[in-house]
Amino acid sequence: MAVRRKIIKERVPTPERPPEERVKDFGEVNLGYTFELAVKEAERCLQCPYDYAPCIKGCPVHINIPGFISKLVEYRDNPDKAVKEALNVIWACNSLPATTGRVCPQEDQCEMNCVMGKVGDKINIGKLERFVADYAREKGIDEQLLLEIIPKIEKTGQGVAIIGAGPAGLTAAGELAKLGYDVTIYEALHEAGGVLMYGIPEFRLPKEIVEKEIDKLRKLGVRILTDHVVGRTVTIEELLEEYNAVFIGSGAGTPRLVNAPGINLNGIYTANEFLTRVNLMKAYKFPEYDTPVYVGKRVIVIGAGNTAMDAARSARRFGADVTIAYRRGEEDVSAREEEVEHAKEEGIKFEYFINPVEFIGDENGNVKAVKFEKMKALEERDKRGKRKIVGTGEYVTLEADTVIIAIGKHPNRLIINTPGLEVERGRIVVDENLMTSIPGVFAGGDAIRGEATVILAMGDGRRAAKAIHEYLTKKREGQNA
Amino acid sequence: MPYRILDKKELAMNEVWYRIHAPHVAKKIQAGQFVIVRAFPTGERIPLTPIRWDREEGWIELVTFVRGKTTMKMANELKPGDEILNVAGPLGNPAPMKKYGRILAVGLITGMVEVFPIARALQELGNDVTTLHITPNPMVILKEDFEESVSRHIVEGFDLQEGWGMNEISQELAKRAVAKVRELLENEHFDMVLTVGPAGGQKAIFNVVKEYGIPMHADLHPIMVDATGMCGACRVTVGGEVKFACIDGPGFDAYKVDWDELIHRTGFYAPMEKLAMEHYLKGLQAQGGEQ
Repeated sequence: MAVRRKIIKERVPTPERPPEERVKDFGEVNLGYTFELAVKEAERCLQCPYDYAPCIKGCPVHINIPGFISKLVEYRDNPDKAVKEALNVIWACNSLPATTGRVCPQEDQCEMNCVMGKVGDKINIGKLERFVADYAREKGIDEQLLLEIIPKIEKTGQGVAIIGAGPAGLTAAGELAKLGYDVTIYEALHEAGGVLMYGIPEFRLPKEIVEKEIDKLRKLGVRILTDHVVGRTVTIEELLEEYNAVFIGSGAGTPRLVNAPGINLNGIYTANEFLTRVNLMKAYKFPEYDTPVYVGKRVIVIGAGNTAMDAARSARRFGADVTIAYRRGEEDVSAREEEVEHAKEEGIKFEYFINPVEFIGDENGNVKAVKFEKMKALEERDKRGKRKIVGTGEYVTLEADTVIIAIGKHPNRLIINTPGLEVERGRIVVDENLMTSIPGVFAGGDAIRGEATVILAMGDGRRAAKAIHEYLTKKREGQNA
Repeated sequence: MPYRILDKKELAMNEVWYRIHAPHVAKKIQAGQFVIVRAFPTGERIPLTPIRWDREEGWIELVTFVRGKTTMKMANELKPGDEILNVAGPLGNPAPMKKYGRILAVGLITGMVEVFPIARALQELGNDVTTLHITPNPMVILKEDFEESVSRHIVEGFDLQEGWGMNEISQELAKRAVAKVRELLENEHFDMVLTVGPAGGQKAIFNVVKEYGIPMHADLHPIMVDATGMCGACRVTVGGEVKFACIDGPGFDAYKVDWDELIHRTGFYAPMEKLAMEHYLKGLQAQGGEQ
């Protein structure tokens, strides 16, 4: 039970590889906790009661955070047991903890309202979650736990199709499989994982770890059909004939382009293309891997979200001189603080209040410079609370032989063109149960939100799974009545 | 999800034919659509166009032109019974199927592969289709298949000269295409022209066709990665707007295409493609040395 402990103000740091070393490869930057360090950090947690704990409320999938942290302390003399117990608590709400522990913006979620923040550093929840998942994977503890869970699953005899093997789809799949449904995921690419595989770079999220987390879902009975493009290979109408319900987790995969002359010059990539080549196709290992990518000496990345940081830091690892160009100011940057810090440490330059108006090419159709208009901020704020910006009529031209556009994404057109599917501004419209305008078809993640975060997508996946379960339970009961 | 190679043979010089078990594609594909293939664990994704398919038996047939590392490695290392890792599709939009009347369908080298299903379907629909294959003589393919399927099939072949590389072949292709298409349009009436092949050759044909004011439909071959609309590698300017060939095409109105931009974009990776090829050949030599 709750024991009054001494308050330890300072967070136990996680070791990181130094910038000058890590910038030469795609290896992971943060090395994570050891068991000893994890227990030390876990001991700092004040163990707020479940009904109160603000961290649980801040987590989109509502992991019992004090619950899993307490296991590390309680079984500190038996690390394997401690991790198994902690993982069991996490798994009740989240099937992909090694991933979320790494990529969630914890500062805006679970850690945001951590009570410890009032007296010192907030608890490092993300790194603790990551530690539990990593240790369990390395020791095979996750496999043991899985073998205990699988026999307890009662099959419903009903099938659910899931469109897209990204964070939303994978989470929904895991939850539905645990509830006894036969789950089939339709994935367009050759690997499952969505943005976890093609978008987020190895140095933040090693692909091997994602693959292993997905393999666990397969062991839970989830079938993943890669190379299946819903909208072409099979339509949503056809899926509805074969399955009892459908979940659309197709994300926001279509890149937004800068509407300026010269956008199709060679050397101008969308962040999606650049990151897909680098991450999914492993172009950083060319020619050992067959997919090429061209990174020039001077790279300009346009945008300042997480995708822009990922693209910039990836380009830096090819030895390029990299500048992030953002039309707003430093305080408006939407990327995670940690990523911005890492980017700066790695030597990436930031230029604020410039907006591209023209891409300038050479005689071979290759980009050689970008012309920007200088912008300025007004006092007035837009709907998202950001200061409005206007052009100043002054221009500046920066040289570049590679340009990466990272200004956002739209949901995929192949999906949203489904007849009968209500769509607003390119996003799928859902009700409070995440059901779309087509009965039995649910949706979540970036397909309904536009570009958001991994964990919000996972939260939607979990909510949709519950809603699908309720919907199908009612249907079963209706049939039995 | 691996897909078994049911059969494989060399059709002509550098032209390899595969029959592959891919029921999900076979069930749905229509003329004008393509697939993305990834053959090896370290491999790239390449777009290819099925020439035939059997919806019941679940196979598709592909023809590759051996022109770089991936296609050469496939030709060298894959045998019937082997599996290739990924066949995604069908992708792209089906070719518009309607009655145009007299159609001239032109394929440059292996572009003829893509012409085949479209020309055959157009003929079946009641069009009077003339197909024209412009190619080096050792690379004549599908001659009998075309002769059986369309009104008239013309092969405009030429011999390869010593020391010719792809540049010289491309120039010769364009030259021959311009002469032959002009001859046909001068002497006969056509209601529509369809082209498939390298961008330079298609542009050369377009410049002739537009003199006659005949509608022209071009199947474009920009670089592709995912081919599901998520990256924009395949973007082209059509009618002043940016389009993604993988989801908006691959067929477009030739009058609206920015041909010079397309030509620049398709050549972007040429130096790296060469490097990949050299790396592969070096590997082969090293293996040869060990044996």
